[in-house]
Amino acid sequence: MQKVLRKRILRDLKENLFRYLALSALIIFVMYLVVSIVGAADTIIIGSKKQARKNQLEDGQFGVFVPLTDTETEKLEKKGVKLEKQFYLDFGMEDHSTLRVYQNREEIDLIALEEGKLAQAEDEIVLEKRYCEEKDLHVGDSITLADATYKIVGIGSTPDYDAPLKQTSDTNADSSIFGTAFVTADTYDMLRKSGKSEKTEEYVYAYRLTGNLTNAQLKEELKKLEFTAEDVKDTYFREYWDQTMGKKDDLENGINDLVDGANELRDGLSELRDYSDDLNDGADEIFDAYLDEANKALKAYGIQEVTADNFETVLNNYVNQSNNPGARMVARGARMQLQELKSYVDGTKEYTDGVGEAADGSEELADGVRELKDHTDDIIDDIFDVDVSNMTYFLVAGDNPRVLGAAGDQEINKIGGLIAGVILMVLFTYVISVFVVHGIEQESSVIGALYALGVTAGDLMLHYITLPVVVSAVSSVIGGLIGFSKWGIGLQMQDCFGYFSLQVPAFEYTPYLIVYTFVMPALTAAIVNCLVIRKKLSRPVLSMLRKEQKASRIRDLNLGNMGFIARFRIRQMLREMRSAFAVIFGMFVSMLIVMMGLDIYVMCQNVNIENKADTKFSYMYTYKYPTEEVPEGGEEAFGKTLKKERLGYNLDVTLLGIHDDNPYFDAKVEDGKNKIIISTAVAQKYNVSEGDVFVLNDEETDTKYAFDIVGIAQYSSSLYIFMDIDSMRELFNESSDYYNIVFSDKALSIPSGRLYATTTKEDVEEASGIFIKMMRPMIYMLLVCSVIIFCVVMYLMMKVMIDRSSFNISLIKIFGYRTKEIGKLYLRGNFYLVAAGALLCIPLAKVCMDAIYPMLVANVGSSMNLTFGWELYAGIYVAVILLYLFINQLLVGRLKKMVPAEVLKNRE
Amino acid sequence: MYLEVRDLKKSYGENGSYVQVLKGINTEVEKGQMCVIQGTSGSGKSTLLNCIGGLDTAESGSIVVDGTEIVGMKQDMLSEYRRDQLGFIFQFYNLVPNLTVKENIQVCEYLTEHPLDINDLMQTLGLTEHQNKFPSQLSGGQQQRCAIARALIKNPKLLLCDEPTGALDSKTSRDILILLEEINAKYGTTMLIVTHNNSIKNMVHKVLIIKDGLIHKSYENEVRVPARELEDL
Repeated sequence: MQKVLRKRILRDLKENLFRYLALSALIIFVMYLVVSIVGAADTIIIGSKKQARKNQLEDGQFGVFVPLTDTETEKLEKKGVKLEKQFYLDFGMEDHSTLRVYQNREEIDLIALEEGKLAQAEDEIVLEKRYCEEKDLHVGDSITLADATYKIVGIGSTPDYDAPLKQTSDTNADSSIFGTAFVTADTYDMLRKSGKSEKTEEYVYAYRLTGNLTNAQLKEELKKLEFTAEDVKDTYFREYWDQTMGKKDDLENGINDLVDGANELRDGLSELRDYSDDLNDGADEIFDAYLDEANKALKAYGIQEVTADNFETVLNNYVNQSNNPGARMVARGARMQLQELKSYVDGTKEYTDGVGEAADGSEELADGVRELKDHTDDIIDDIFDVDVSNMTYFLVAGDNPRVLGAAGDQEINKIGGLIAGVILMVLFTYVISVFVVHGIEQESSVIGALYALGVTAGDLMLHYITLPVVVSAVSSVIGGLIGFSKWGIGLQMQDCFGYFSLQVPAFEYTPYLIVYTFVMPALTAAIVNCLVIRKKLSRPVLSMLRKEQKASRIRDLNLGNMGFIARFRIRQMLREMRSAFAVIFGMFVSMLIVMMGLDIYVMCQNVNIENKADTKFSYMYTYKYPTEEVPEGGEEAFGKTLKKERLGYNLDVTLLGIHDDNPYFDAKVEDGKNKIIISTAVAQKYNVSEGDVFVLNDEETDTKYAFDIVGIAQYSSSLYIFMDIDSMRELFNESSDYYNIVFSDKALSIPSGRLYATTTKEDVEEASGIFIKMMRPMIYMLLVCSVIIFCVVMYLMMKVMIDRSSFNISLIKIFGYRTKEIGKLYLRGNFYLVAAGALLCIPLAKVCMDAIYPMLVANVGSSMNLTFGWELYAGIYVAVILLYLFINQLLVGRLKKMVPAEVLKNRE
Repeated sequence: MYLEVRDLKKSYGENGSYVQVLKGINTEVEKGQMCVIQGTSGSGKSTLLNCIGGLDTAESGSIVVDGTEIVGMKQDMLSEYRRDQLGFIFQFYNLVPNLTVKENIQVCEYLTEHPLDINDLMQTLGLTEHQNKFPSQLSGGQQQRCAIARALIKNPKLLLCDEPTGALDSKTSRDILILLEEINAKYGTTMLIVTHNNSIKNMVHKVLIIKDGLIHKSYENEVRVPARELEDL
């Protein structure tokens, strides 16, 4: 029987060729889009990972102040890590771009050449491919670098610059201003010696773990490696060291000197005290000796013997009362001598007592100084609590935005594509089911007759799902094949290759996507149609034979005293609820796609406008080695990069310490180590507001910081949060005059060797515009896609509505209704449906997309202002109405073609 | 007895709209008989036919066809019963619009392991020259002949005809009745024909007249008038 019924399928297809072609085109288009987007994502994700493996992608990298010694390298390698020096020099080019020069790699992050060869001679250079594309450079061309000319012998890419970001903190890559280059070791030495690099050489090591050592363990090992400041060749480093860590030595030396002095003093006085008794005894002996001599002389004049205690009284009596002038003279002389000696003895006593006290004091002093040293050591440890190890930074590959950046970016496309595919599959399957249901309802009496003759529901089910399944399957295969081709995956990847630096990978045909493409649409069509058809075919045979309409409360709605035209239209809409729902569903899906396109557009546009408006500085200098004094004309700031996770992506958030009168940011910061003002970019990205607690993570120290949000400041360029600079210095144990960023409205004369980076307003403006440039093809594609889906679904469903009413339309033609009047009855209702549906779908789609969109750009660390003005909403609404009117015109033509004979054909 | 109906009752609706259509039908038809069921609109004749055909379910009573009780049968069993035993002819043909005459017949040819020869059947029904035409290219009579062929191809033992000439003109009606008569003679098919037409009762073996849900009159024609001689069709 199926053999016979199959003949009917072909005839059905022929009879409704346009309908099925439109439907098929929609499925082909949808599957093409989904497969090309997801296939491109898979190709890039798998391809870039394969390339990364092949080219020995690093497990991470770290920077050092001074190159590791051979012993240190050996020690580390023995622990289970392979290291490769990847020192680099940045050179400013004539066109103001920066070329970062490395020497050829041998073991890690190998250069994947797309054309040419590696640099082998002194005048040869290999350039990164995106830079070459932007500069229109080719193998055989020459470039000038540090006043020397180099011949480009190769063009390629390296896995550590998959996203060619100049700084890892940059939000976007711009290959027109930055690229990498690779030369021989000799040429690199020559370039280093030329002294013409923008800044001093960066000592970076890439590593691959080869044993049981983990990233964290390696980091700990590296922290232990110390260095001698004197070994650092960078003069700015040395100067900075002297200003900062050098002062620690001064302080330590000073307090040590003080301790030593106090100890010496204590020891000296102690020794002096030890001689005090001798001194006192000596004085007493002198006094006693003279007293003996004096008594001998006094005795000669009959003067009684005197003692140390009474000599003054006795001798005074003789001097005043004796009649003997000789005795008086001797007594006077002895009294004077003894008085002087007595004073001497008392003086000596006082002196030695003083020495004793001083010795006691010096001991206390020494103890005090020792305490002072202990406290001072603690204070030094607190103040100079900085890593004194040789390591300047440590970055594992997983946290490095340059590594596998394309793969990360494409993950979002992949998920978005797959979800969109499922939604669109449900849409077109639903559209097909409307056709099928329409067909079953039209043939209800025939089906009833076949049932009566013993044909089973299973036979008919198989028959009725065959066409939708075949159309879905064939269309999805066609769409899938185009999607998998160079016109699909190949084209979709172009955007990615226009941004990321990747080798063109071989297309990946992942099993899940093959099943998704070639099985899912047919399976979805089979399942959805089975469910719908089963319900329709399970009606009683007699009901089908009699073409009975199922009673419905909604259809039988009491419309009161409503006028005929309005009543008719409402009844028609209620009767065609299934098709009307498909129109609204299709409109909603189209609007979702429109909103995705517009969200991309407005986000890029807002980023562009707001970044320009919010960037009030002309120059931002990020210091590596700041000077003691802030350069004249500059505004100091203290920047620290912390981390905050959002939707699975661990993004950099810059905590910026500024003064409350900083002219470059509208952030009136308050004193307080936990008070922050967040930028609008942070508020939008993390969905936080004033009063919330914002927790940031310092991965270097494994410390979490919880801040109270006390305000929101307009700033969209980057994920910034602001706090009072003094509070920030205190929080991070920096000196009261510390800074590492200087903003300025004019160029300052700062040696490039002191700087990590210089960001100009022009850089920010140019970078802001890159998003729109990059996303424009995607925006156009989404808008075209939505228009096609909207038109096809609306046309097909409205046509079904009219076809289902063909008998009635023919009948009222017999009554004498004109085409225009029929249009009013049958099409005007659709206008109200579309007009009202659009009023609902446009804002609803916007709300839904605004909720979904942040997940699609979870890896982008910038603001997400998705708001747009009422003009755009009005524009979309007008576009919907215009498209409806266009489709309406096509359908009016169909109304004209309907003839009263239809009634006669279907008179039963 | 090929068909036996005992105390068959059937009603529709509830409360105010309750109507008992069949109030206890008792009848029987012998194998190979042609039987007309006649009655006014709403008398229950089509309901009786539908119950016998397993298209409608009886509330109570019994219908035994060729020894098998069909009252209380489940839907899938009823489907098998229709497939094995029955042919249906309707007033409005109900042909598959985009299948040709031959294909419409073939749809039911596959339902049985021993179908009649399709070419013979088309020859008998005068459809050979129209076999590749679609229903829309046929007259009402030709469409009904196609519907008859579709019903007969699986060589049913019982042919149920619901107003088979209701939508046809007099001449075409006669042609169809002649055809049914010939089929009955040729294949020995038992036939139940529901009709308003008073003349048809003269050509069949047995007549059942239903009134208000009960067999009002039941008789067998002692002399049958051949279809070609029927008047006032």
